Amino acid sequence: MEFRDNKAIYLQIAEYVCEHILLGKWKADEKVPSVRELAVEMEVNPNTVMRTYELLQNKNIIKNKRGIGFFVDEAAAEHVKSYRKQQFIADELPVVFRNIYLLNIGFDELENQYETFVKENFNA
Amino acid sequence: MNNTFNMTRFGLLLRRQWLEFGKIYLISLVVLLGIVVGFYGYNIPSPFKNNNFDYAGNLDMRFRYPLFLILGFVFISIVASSYFNILGQKSRAILELMTPASVFEKFLAGVVYTALISLFSYLLIFYLTDLAFVKYLNGHLNAFNHPGIKKVESIPQEVFRDEGFGKYWAYFFALPFLITSIFLLGSIYFNRFHYIKTALSVMVFVGLGSYLVVRFSVWLMENKVRYHHNFRNDGKDQILLAILLITSLITFMVWAITYIRLKEKEV
Amino acid sequence: MYYLTNTVDMININNLNFGYSKHKPLFKNMSMRLSNGHIYGLLGKNGAGKSTLLKNLAGLVYAQSGTLDVLGYDPAKRQPALLEQICFIPEEFYLPSVKINAYIKANAPFYKNFDHSYFTDLIKEFDIPVEQKLINMSYGQKKKVIIAFGLATQAKLVIMDEPTNGLDIPSKAQFRKIMASAMTDERCIIISTHQVRDLDNLIDTVIMLDENDIALKATVEEITEKLTFKKVKEVDDSVFYAEPSLSGYNAVMPNYHHEESKLDMELLFNAILAEKTKFKPLFS
Repeated sequence: MEFRDNKAIYLQIAEYVCEHILLGKWKADEKVPSVRELAVEMEVNPNTVMRTYELLQNKNIIKNKRGIGFFVDEAAAEHVKSYRKQQFIADELPVVFRNIYLLNIGFDELENQYETFVKENFNA
Repeated sequence: MNNTFNMTRFGLLLRRQWLEFGKIYLISLVVLLGIVVGFYGYNIPSPFKNNNFDYAGNLDMRFRYPLFLILGFVFISIVASSYFNILGQKSRAILELMTPASVFEKFLAGVVYTALISLFSYLLIFYLTDLAFVKYLNGHLNAFNHPGIKKVESIPQEVFRDEGFGKYWAYFFALPFLITSIFLLGSIYFNRFHYIKTALSVMVFVGLGSYLVVRFSVWLMENKVRYHHNFRNDGKDQILLAILLITSLITFMVWAITYIRLKEKEV
Repeated sequence: MYYLTNTVDMININNLNFGYSKHKPLFKNMSMRLSNGHIYGLLGKNGAGKSTLLKNLAGLVYAQSGTLDVLGYDPAKRQPALLEQICFIPEEFYLPSVKINAYIKANAPFYKNFDHSYFTDLIKEFDIPVEQKLINMSYGQKKKVIIAFGLATQAKLVIMDEPTNGLDIPSKAQFRKIMASAMTDERCIIISTHQVRDLDNLIDTVIMLDENDIALKATVEEITEKLTFKKVKEVDDSVFYAEPSLSGYNAVMPNYHHEESKLDMELLFNAILAEKTKFKPLFS
């Protein structure tokens, strides 16, 4: 995996795991790769993956069954979404807000843009 | 497991060193064989040469002894001076020193290869070549076309029959070991040009030593002792015993220094 | 750190003084402890003493004063019981003119725990031609053989001096994978490198040598907790150190806002060399 330069590796691996869960590649109650397996795949230190798994455990996205390994939580997809929302609000939204403010974009215009975007990309 | 000496580990080490040392060693044995055969082939009595035998019909095989001694010196000293030379190369020394065997075992492997195996294989090769040529010669004695020609003997036969040899040989027993020990030390002491540097150092040491001994004895004895023609008192050769003891002692000392050098070797 | 329940000091360096000559000391009163379950990255300028420190640990050179404790032994004694627990991969090495099998037969029996099937796996993963003589292999191939051998000895202490030197790009990726799987709870791995980019995601603790001592020893987590690495448009007073890049500057600065940035080891390295005094109070 290619890592980006702007974010801690363990968070990037967390995103990778979340992505897999959201895309349904790793399903609820299924075993996720062991710390070592994922470390080998990512070519990173196992301690880093361990840190990722601790984080995901705290967010209830995976759970640790002692002696067996880590499993995808039943409600993992939901928890991933709430975790991502939290992250989006904390990390990315301030940048968007800053630009909206600086460029003086009105909420009406924003709403229009948003609806067009959803229609074009998600056919909703 | 014992951290100084363990027989299994020592066996493993000998086998491992063979991998490093064996090939070049075998090649040098082949070269040795070639040289011995060459000298024999060139010097051996033949009906096509003159002055091959004396009036009693003894074929002239005297070339064997200087050949044996000189070649023996050259061979065992070269083998000994190449054993630890890998420690002079950084890239090889690290893996050598990191091999899980004790310093003592590594040292002892060096002694086994340079003092025992090289000496033994030299004697064996010389003996076999000599035997082969002697057999061949004895099988073709009539080619000399001379009725009085006697059979030649192989070196051991000739030597062990000799009274003087029987009397004195044991006193020089330590000499080959002394030679190998000095060149083994040289191989670890110098990082490059081990052989020539060792040979030079020995010459300097021996020269200086002899000079000092002579000067010292002159100072000690000149005009102080009477000349005495029967200096040897009881007919026993003290000097020979002294040679044996001193060569043995120096050999062990040199080995001890080699061990310490190996212990202190840094890369 | 996270992974471990029980860590012990595997290496304990106390007031180490070392120099190749009396007048030019390389290490002055250096002290450091290293424990199991880590991959330590040893960084430093050329001549800062990376290789020398590794050699001290392996007992290949002797300290002038101070004590060294490696797995409970004094490495200077070169005892087999310690040597069989050390895997030392030197930067330059020589392998005899034999095939891999013969090499293994001669060398593996010294290591009680040598894992033959693991060795075979590693050789396969590294794509080494088994039938070729070691001496005819390229430098990179030889290096991979010796790394595979060293790891298969199951040594507790793995010391590697510039292991990625001479490896081609695919081999570097293989190497990272192998090291990620070789890092176990029982092991302590120390890798010296000046090619930081090859290894920066493998290293969990940075040890930096400078001016006869350890300029920094900290886990990646500690470093990114205290410092943040990011691109900035302009350099202001809060920035400790910055290097110009295409879009502004790559900067190191104190991490006031608990940002979770990615450690840029090369930048950190240059920053510490340039601005040592600024970093000292953060890591002590």
